[in-house]
Amino acid sequence: MTRQVVPWDSSGPPVGPIGVPLVDLLDRVLATGVVISGDLVIAIADVPLVRLSLHALLSSVNDRVPAPWADGGPL
Amino acid sequence: MTEPDAPSDTQATYVFAVCRNADLSAVAELPGVTVDAPVTALPLGKLTAIVQSVRAAEFTDEAWQARLSDQQALERYARAHHEVVSAVAARCPAVPLPMATLYHGEDRAREALSQEEGRFEAVLKRIERHTEWGLKVYATPSSPVDTAPAPVHRVTPTGRSSPEPGAGLAYLNRKRDVQERRERSTDEALRAADLVDAEVCRLAAASRRLRPHPQPSADRRVQVLNATYLVDERRTGELALLTQTLRDRTGAQIELSGPWVPYSFVGEVQP
Repeated sequence: MTRQVVPWDSSGPPVGPIGVPLVDLLDRVLATGVVISGDLVIAIADVPLVRLSLHALLSSVNDRVPAPWADGGPL
Repeated sequence: MTEPDAPSDTQATYVFAVCRNADLSAVAELPGVTVDAPVTALPLGKLTAIVQSVRAAEFTDEAWQARLSDQQALERYARAHHEVVSAVAARCPAVPLPMATLYHGEDRAREALSQEEGRFEAVLKRIERHTEWGLKVYATPSSPVDTAPAPVHRVTPTGRSSPEPGAGLAYLNRKRDVQERRERSTDEALRAADLVDAEVCRLAAASRRLRPHPQPSADRRVQVLNATYLVDERRTGELALLTQTLRDRTGAQIELSGPWVPYSFVGEVQP
């Protein structure tokens, strides 16, 4: 079993953006952490239209592959 | 020429994080999401918001729609946001806010954020001395290449090639075997994912499952778990050990990423 190389693998404090995969970053900065609502863009991950665009984008980040399972996923 | 209601002049306040005992030295040199103004602190009472003044016209719904369809632009903003949040969180207890949290000016930001002070305090308490760790499990599908010998062809007197009798049945059998192997390996991978999640949950303070990512076509692996965990800093070593143990035990490929600022564990906290 090959040890997977992770972008940052130290025990230091949470570090900067270098090498953090974009999909993992977007999972966190967009889809979660909604504590409060802003005035102009309100929790953009909750807006269905934006979520759709984001979904399309994430697929393109991943080389536009079909879902691994025909029904859209196992989980 | 300027339009009478020129929106490009309107300023908005972009908020990166809310923190306690703010240490601005960490962010003073960072560009943030615009070159127009520096990243600064906005006092909220006991807490401090880390903010930047931006042009409202650049942060409308339409502007975000355009940005979401432009991967480079989105990536630039996501990394700029993350850079400021990470720098703040490295120096002082901080609640990361989602990308593109904006208010109509500093007064409005102070008013709105101050109302949530109890909630921010509760979040700070929850994530104190904790970091977030991402964990992904991949299944490697069994080879689709048939292991059975290829059907033997014979040459008939007429010179045409035709399959052995029973070749159609053998073909169907091989197809069925491949299908069964695939289903079996998928089941095994999903069981391994559940096992890994259950084991890591015992060590973590909280957990969330994220959307599994599709893999690039060149990568035959299938992501069967994309989860994230809130882990006490003192248990990071244990997490690394447990991950290795689970790799050995399940044979699955497991990727661990972190430490992250606990983005995924600030949303559901109530004051």
